[in-house]
Amino acid sequence: MSLLDFARGPALEWSLLIMVFGIFWRLVGTFLFKGQVYLSKPKGTRFVAAGLRTIATRSWPDERLERTIRFQHYSGYLFHITLFIVIFLFEPHIEFFKWLLGFSWPGLPTNAVTFAAAVTVATLIALGIRRATNPIMKSITNADDWLSWLVTIGPVVTGMMAFAHQNIGIRYEDLLGIHILSVCLLFIWIPFGKLMHMFLLFPGRYQIGEKFEFRGVRA
Amino acid sequence: MASNMTLGESLRRRGVSRRGFLKFCAATASMMALPPGSVPALAAALEKARRPSVIWLSFQECTGCAESITRADAPTLEGLIFDYISLDYQHTLMAAAGDAAEAAREAAMHENAGKYLVIVDGSIPVKDDGIYSTIAGMTNLQILKDTAKDAAAIISLGSCAAFGGIPKANPNPTGAVAVSDIVKDKPIINVPGCPPIPVVITGVIAQYLAFGTLPELDVHGRPKAFFGQNIHDRCYRRPFYERGLFAETFDDEGAKAGWCLWKLGCKGPITYNACAVTKWNFGTSFPIQAGHGCIGCSEPDFWDKGGFYEPLAAGTYAPGAGLVSAAAVGVAVGVGSAVLARNSQKALHKEGA
Amino acid sequence: MSMHQEMEQTFQMFMGMVGELGKLAQPTDMPDSERVARAKKVFLEKTTWDIATELEGCIHCGLCAEACHYRIGTGDAKYTPAKKFELMRTVYRRELSPMRWLYKLILPDITARDLEEWQELVYDSCTMCARCSMICPMGIHIAELVEYTREALAEAGLIPAEIRAMQQMQYETGTIFEVSADVMEFKVKELEETHGIEIPLNKAGAEVMVLTSGLDIMLYNDALVGTAKILNHAKVNWTIWVDSFECANFGLLSGHAATLKRQADRVIDAAVKHNAKVVVVSECGHAYPALRFYGAEGWGKPLPFEVMAPSEYISKLYEEGKLKLKKPQDRKTVTLHDPCKVGRHGGIFDGPREVLKAMGLELRETENNHMTNWCCGGGAAVFLIDRAAELRQRSFEIKFGEVKATRADALVVSCGSCRLNFERGKMNAGETLPVDSFAQIVGDNLAS
Repeated sequence: MSLLDFARGPALEWSLLIMVFGIFWRLVGTFLFKGQVYLSKPKGTRFVAAGLRTIATRSWPDERLERTIRFQHYSGYLFHITLFIVIFLFEPHIEFFKWLLGFSWPGLPTNAVTFAAAVTVATLIALGIRRATNPIMKSITNADDWLSWLVTIGPVVTGMMAFAHQNIGIRYEDLLGIHILSVCLLFIWIPFGKLMHMFLLFPGRYQIGEKFEFRGVRA
Repeated sequence: MASNMTLGESLRRRGVSRRGFLKFCAATASMMALPPGSVPALAAALEKARRPSVIWLSFQECTGCAESITRADAPTLEGLIFDYISLDYQHTLMAAAGDAAEAAREAAMHENAGKYLVIVDGSIPVKDDGIYSTIAGMTNLQILKDTAKDAAAIISLGSCAAFGGIPKANPNPTGAVAVSDIVKDKPIINVPGCPPIPVVITGVIAQYLAFGTLPELDVHGRPKAFFGQNIHDRCYRRPFYERGLFAETFDDEGAKAGWCLWKLGCKGPITYNACAVTKWNFGTSFPIQAGHGCIGCSEPDFWDKGGFYEPLAAGTYAPGAGLVSAAAVGVAVGVGSAVLARNSQKALHKEGA
Repeated sequence: MSMHQEMEQTFQMFMGMVGELGKLAQPTDMPDSERVARAKKVFLEKTTWDIATELEGCIHCGLCAEACHYRIGTGDAKYTPAKKFELMRTVYRRELSPMRWLYKLILPDITARDLEEWQELVYDSCTMCARCSMICPMGIHIAELVEYTREALAEAGLIPAEIRAMQQMQYETGTIFEVSADVMEFKVKELEETHGIEIPLNKAGAEVMVLTSGLDIMLYNDALVGTAKILNHAKVNWTIWVDSFECANFGLLSGHAATLKRQADRVIDAAVKHNAKVVVVSECGHAYPALRFYGAEGWGKPLPFEVMAPSEYISKLYEEGKLKLKKPQDRKTVTLHDPCKVGRHGGIFDGPREVLKAMGLELRETENNHMTNWCCGGGAAVFLIDRAAELRQRSFEIKFGEVKATRADALVVSCGSCRLNFERGKMNAGETLPVDSFAQIVGDNLAS
């Protein structure tokens, strides 16, 4: 079995199984705790609306707060958007999702995706340097942060390498195999580290919206 | 029967002019991407070459490789067997049959010990002591071992001989293996393809004859001259891949416009062969040009790479059921985890109360 | 002596007394293992699904550090809010989270040393102002997690000495600064005489039960006097009950849950006994949520009366047309400071602003106001912690800088704790801008 066959076969199969199993395990295990008991009279009562609103508005905080976090705010969203483009709007990747999910959607021209991939890598490196040098970041960073960074940047870099195989001089099928294996690594890590924020941000923002609605305040 | 005439003498005897001979050398050299300066060396070497003995063993094969070689044009098959080699054993082409054929093989082996070239097409079954393919009562396995013993070199012709090919495809009921899985102590050139391109076959034979050494081989033992580039890098539809323009079905607008066939399962990116350059039917076309994706026939295990119509981005198995089960198990473990956690919270609470 | 000079003198005495508080605390020694066990019990019991989601959700983005007055004021990364709930997160991960069996292999358990180290992070350098909770992209209510961590440390006997002294005294007596019922009654009568106003005590049948505080009795009389003037002007049927006048809750301030409930229950039981329809706390930050949002939970059922902050109640009176206001003579422009527990945590912003504007004052907003308002830096009993002096001062400088930039004549605020930090901050910085009580400025400008 070649490296590529292994990547497209057992590696992909097991990493996807672990990912799906782990995500459900972690989310279900988190949401089934009891709820807080409120006996005081709420000041605001539109809890669902407040929760849903907060999911949206947390992405754009009040300007007076936002200006203090402008760099992180913009670079964070930039790399998420370009990463989204690379993962979900690149035709070969859409074919992967078609195989996995059974349906597909239109993509972007490959040049646009290549540009987005380059921006993703550059932004991730800039943010990585910030995490390594900024005193605030250093005081709260742990192994999870670095591992999550690695398994995220790995597929983008190896994907670009596969795309540019003629310049690199490694055989394409090996580069493709390495790229797919790097994605398998990402899949395996998702349930166990902070990449779960892709799911947790929704209930997280929702519940704080609810909590402050109780106090009559828009959070 | 081997001739004692040199190749040059033999050609002149047949009326091939010096000019014609040099023309052939130039064409052969250029096809194998040898520099123009090598033409005189090629000519000189071929001139002096004695028609070497070639023994062609056919095992679990479909005869497609033999069919393919009959379409070669530089050199042609006739040119090869009449002018350049002494094809002393070949099931489809030789006149003799039965015991006489086997006797011819043994005579050639004996007379040319250490110098004859073996060409093998078809895979070799090894399960149940190789009983699934026999010739004259001998298993392919035994014939290969015997013939390879005094061979100078072996050409594994076609994907079956080179890698196991179709018989090796899942579940491989005969235990089919490649030549290189059996023979470990002789130089082997793999010339895969299902079948290989005609001129690739004859070109490799010609090069071996001319220089007596193995050409530069890649990681799979294939001559880099013909198998050094993948189809993708030489495909005329590559600009469409680069731009993200793909045919989604075999008769949609993209297909009619000649867009990239990657989504329809083309294995061009991982297949190394000369199809996109040399093409088939004397340079007429090749599968992609005809509108069908490359099936990767010159690669090991090409039958088991997930399906000819599944793109490379897809896995080589069917997802779905497994993932649903994984989700269900995850939910169950999550519920279990939460129940145990809540129980421990209750126990704590009781402790304190 | 003018009331202002008298207050300044009292303020100095008050500061002196506060400085001695630490010595009055009873020790809470126990073996390390017990400290850890007790702290963990709090963390584990407090884990509801929303808390679990938050503890799973921190992505170490560091945005919270850019919202925190202590972190920004000192420039020290150790005050990054995300660090403050690290202990609770560790315990949750190791003992309750879905993947606890994996975490137990790689995360070391918390120790008594950790708990001691965290005392500074959740007491000295956090007023639970919730600015960080507003900026967190994952929706983590960091202030609430700090509150729980304070509770855990309190259970583990690690409340800072000054706060512990107050909590222990209030648990026993229900009052603070030794302002007992007698002292309170005496002082109230004195105020009635001095200001020629009525402060009805123990009036049966009064619908509105007003609370005051040892702080206001001792120091910020103007707040009590102003409140009395306004309620009388609006002809409200109100009273203060001498056996339950104290609204400060050192259970909430210290994290000592038993004291929180005991103190709140004292007030609630009295309100029920006296059939109060509305309970108005004093000008105080934490006293409002102590009753409004924690009272019923501790008491065990919904409260049969309303709880309001004075600024809220006064605004309500104004909206109902019961206040006739006139323009102050000594102030033209003011800026209003929203105490964190009343504004961001209580939703009271615009009512007091309407009242100030109705008085003909020009209201200027600091650059950060309403939901992004800077904390004064002294709330949540941080004011009492001697060693937190520099933290408070740096934080004061941020807020006061914005106040000065408005060029208003005065800063108006409806919280005694904020006033304490502003006054001390001014003292240290040589500033003189007047800081007015909201109740006082309104009470002094009622048209007859």
